[in-house]
Amino acid sequence: MKKWLRENLFRSYLDGVVTLVSAALAIWILTQLWNFVFVTGRWEIIQVNLKLLLVGRFPEESMWLVGLSMISLAFFIGLAAGSLRSTGLKSRKVTEIAIDVTRRFGLLLLLAAAIIYLAGTLDALLAGLQVFAALAVGRLLGGLKTTITWLKPIPKALWLALWALLPIASIGFTLSVASLEEWGGFLINFYIAIVSIVLCFPLGILLALGRRSSFPVVRLLSTTYIELIRGAPLFVLLLLAGVALEFFIPPEIAPDVIFRSVTVFTLFTGAYLAEIIRGGLQSIPKGQTEAGKALGLSTVKIIYLITLPQALRNVIPAQIGQFISLFKDTTLAGAALSVFEVLNIGKAITKQDDFLGQGMIYESLAFVALLFWVGSFVMSRESQRLEKKLGVGVR
Amino acid sequence: MNDKAFADATLLSGGRQASDAIVTMKSVVKRFKDFEALKGIDFAVGRQEVVVIIGPSGSGKSTLIRCINRLEQHDEGSIVVDGTELTNDIRNIQEIRKETGMVFQSFNLFPHLTVLTNVAIGPRQVRNLPKVEAERIARELLERVKIPEQADKFPAQLSGGQQQRVAIARALAMKPKVMLFDEPTSALDPEMINEVLDAIKELANEGMTMVVVTHEMGFAREVADRVIFMADGEIVEVGTPEQIFDSPKEERTKKFLSQIL
Repeated sequence: MKKWLRENLFRSYLDGVVTLVSAALAIWILTQLWNFVFVTGRWEIIQVNLKLLLVGRFPEESMWLVGLSMISLAFFIGLAAGSLRSTGLKSRKVTEIAIDVTRRFGLLLLLAAAIIYLAGTLDALLAGLQVFAALAVGRLLGGLKTTITWLKPIPKALWLALWALLPIASIGFTLSVASLEEWGGFLINFYIAIVSIVLCFPLGILLALGRRSSFPVVRLLSTTYIELIRGAPLFVLLLLAGVALEFFIPPEIAPDVIFRSVTVFTLFTGAYLAEIIRGGLQSIPKGQTEAGKALGLSTVKIIYLITLPQALRNVIPAQIGQFISLFKDTTLAGAALSVFEVLNIGKAITKQDDFLGQGMIYESLAFVALLFWVGSFVMSRESQRLEKKLGVGVR
Repeated sequence: MNDKAFADATLLSGGRQASDAIVTMKSVVKRFKDFEALKGIDFAVGRQEVVVIIGPSGSGKSTLIRCINRLEQHDEGSIVVDGTELTNDIRNIQEIRKETGMVFQSFNLFPHLTVLTNVAIGPRQVRNLPKVEAERIARELLERVKIPEQADKFPAQLSGGQQQRVAIARALAMKPKVMLFDEPTSALDPEMINEVLDAIKELANEGMTMVVVTHEMGFAREVADRVIFMADGEIVEVGTPEQIFDSPKEERTKKFLSQIL
């Protein structure tokens, strides 16, 4: 212990000073944070407006739909995670599983627990448990060897289509019961992000391939598109989507703001993703393509069997980074298009009669930030795991 | 090139006629910008013949065999493989690539696929065989190159020699009529060279038609029906291994052999 301290924290006078100063700083920040969270913070503003922040003015009688879509999403995520482990279910001790789950999803669980505690209803607790159970059941099913053989005959393309359709269908479904004015909150940030991610991914791939294409017209179009979009601030594009469409489409049938935000986020992130994927494609040695050609594989097969899978895997960190920033940027849709998303609500609730002029903006913003931070953190950690898992046998 | 050299280059070993050739090149020229890599090559390979190409680096050996399956596009002359002429028609190119297997200096295995999938990918994706059948062929070939136990590993988990043998199996899985080897042992550690050369020798003994670019002179002497010496984009001398290695006629051949032997 003493030796470790000397070797790592107090190797020289300068080291010692740096250590002491950082320690003091850390302690000060932590006490301030502790103070804010447990002493001075007045969290009743969150407690009272919890439902508004999370799902907007979603009709009470249709809340089960939100639960259902969360549960099915959790189930599918579990199934995917389970089937990624091609080795099947390993018999592990319960304690090992518990440690693993806590390490990976501890923060998420903590946040869920905090929200359920704030909600203070039995329904919230039950919903939380159901989502967790769905995730666990999906994971177990996905890990079973028998399930894998049973699922194998389903072509990959169908799987992909299913994946793409799931969030879009659940949006349509949700919209059929709750009107746009009623629907909002963090749920809308989440949905805009998920749908945009699902849609921008193929767009990014097509644009990346287009920019490397040997057809000059395709190359020119892709390059122009990518450079135009990347040259414009996202906020400006969102504002444009709010007004410019009126030039072309009569206001009565103009698409709603959510549709517009999804479109802008998809087109915007697609351009960035294209450059990331193009970078990945460039990192694949020429020999890979040549080996494919020498075997007689067609150009299309060389791309989707050989270069693209390797390229996508090489750029997982950058792709996830882009998705994380898309997730957080959904708050811009509130400011630019008045989408009733969580940040908009977070600001609005401080103007309620009960809380007006009491400086509640800290609590409100802190809660919004926490939601995004936990989401981003889990995404980032899971991407690192995915990277490791897919990296089997590489160099 | 004079008439005598032309006749030598296109004459197949064992006094067979050029009509028996599976690969024929006539006055093939290949340029990289201003640099002429092949300066009018006349060349033929007979069925079941093993042709070894030697020569200093930069002499156009690799370019020559890469023209045969269109990894490089020749600028002038004609190349005919198994009766199909290489033109810009993509169908012709695909047809020829199906009939020619290539083994590269740097293996070029697909790192994201298992060894078995690497070998099965040709039959499965090009010949459209059912997965079970493709994998059966792959296992058989892995057996033949003596690494059946590595089937489920990834290429990076194998030694260089093993990887190159997988690459040979991958090319063979297409049941090619000609095998092209582009310096197959140049990237290997010395102790692994022999296992690869042995695999190639075995193929030669089984009657596979092969064109091999190599710096392994002992191997060339042992396995070749014909040795071709290239320098500066031209075929300088052609002959049996004995003729080339024991009594070379051309000055450049003599100089090259004295440098490396």
